[in-house]
Amino acid sequence: MKTDKSNTEELDTLESDTPLYSGPVIAASLSALLGLLTLVVTHHISRLTKGLDKLIHSYGYWMPGSTGTGPDGSIGNYSGKETLALLVWTATWLIFHYLWRKQDFSLRAWTPFFLGTLVFLMLGLFHPLIDPVVLFIAGLFGYAA
Amino acid sequence: MAHDAIDSHQLTKTLIRLQAGTALLLLLMISCLDLFFPTQYALKAAVHGISAISALVIGTYMTHRAYFLLRGAKINYQSLRNWALAATMLNLLGAISGNWIYMRYRGQDGPRDWILQNVPDFHNVLMEFKEFVSLFPFPLMVVVCFTLFYYKDQIHLRHDIKQFIAIIIMVSWFFLMLGFVSGLILAKLRFV
Repeated sequence: MKTDKSNTEELDTLESDTPLYSGPVIAASLSALLGLLTLVVTHHISRLTKGLDKLIHSYGYWMPGSTGTGPDGSIGNYSGKETLALLVWTATWLIFHYLWRKQDFSLRAWTPFFLGTLVFLMLGLFHPLIDPVVLFIAGLFGYAA
Repeated sequence: MAHDAIDSHQLTKTLIRLQAGTALLLLLMISCLDLFFPTQYALKAAVHGISAISALVIGTYMTHRAYFLLRGAKINYQSLRNWALAATMLNLLGAISGNWIYMRYRGQDGPRDWILQNVPDFHNVLMEFKEFVSLFPFPLMVVVCFTLFYYKDQIHLRHDIKQFIAIIIMVSWFFLMLGFVSGLILAKLRFV
């Protein structure tokens, strides 16, 4: 860890010519959350019916190893979930960054929301906990198992 | 009588590096020895294991750096940017190699078939959880990396941004550990 004086002395005299905005870091972190949310949502959607599973899988056909059988196997519909997550992550990041690059937001207010959403997403992948909720929501749309 | 102490800054730096280096070396053996396992998927298993362990060790080292960010201490941002970039690339390699070994996991007579036949919950609950949670650290480290490169040394002027990325480094480490431990359990249960 280089924290010797020669490396850090100039930090004392550091001054910003232009204001530093927190918008870009909020845009980056929010888009990452949306990408991860896409992973969770597409995972549950693909488990509802064969048709939805095939639809999600089709987005990942570009990925080497996305289809195939035999001992070597394939990535399967996981490739489609990753692709959709990447698309949502990238697209929302570009949009939010452009919109918020010169905006300042409270990171103190954003941090609990960010961490809470990550915990929610993590629990959303634990089947014994989330499956009854998914089936209830799916039932509202006529996809009850 | 003089009580000369070792320079505490230098001592901390040396011990952190020594701890990370020792952990990396010893833990790498877990996966390097995969290369000698009696399976035709030994290389895929070793590459995924080595990248996952390296990502975990560098992720752990990054948490040491995060404490300095949280405290608002003066640090070498150029060095931190390089480490963040390395951690991000290793997370990416872990995810890509994870896809590679996942193919065999799902393959005919692969670990999935065996687990579903014998202990289905390890696939239906643990693997279905692990395969997604293991992807969490990569976007999180991308956010850290982007922030450090975007704001450059001027980030020093915004303590709230430094605190935020320090927290993300910690969270990323948590997901790395979660993915690593669950992966290790599954590999112990049924190797490829």
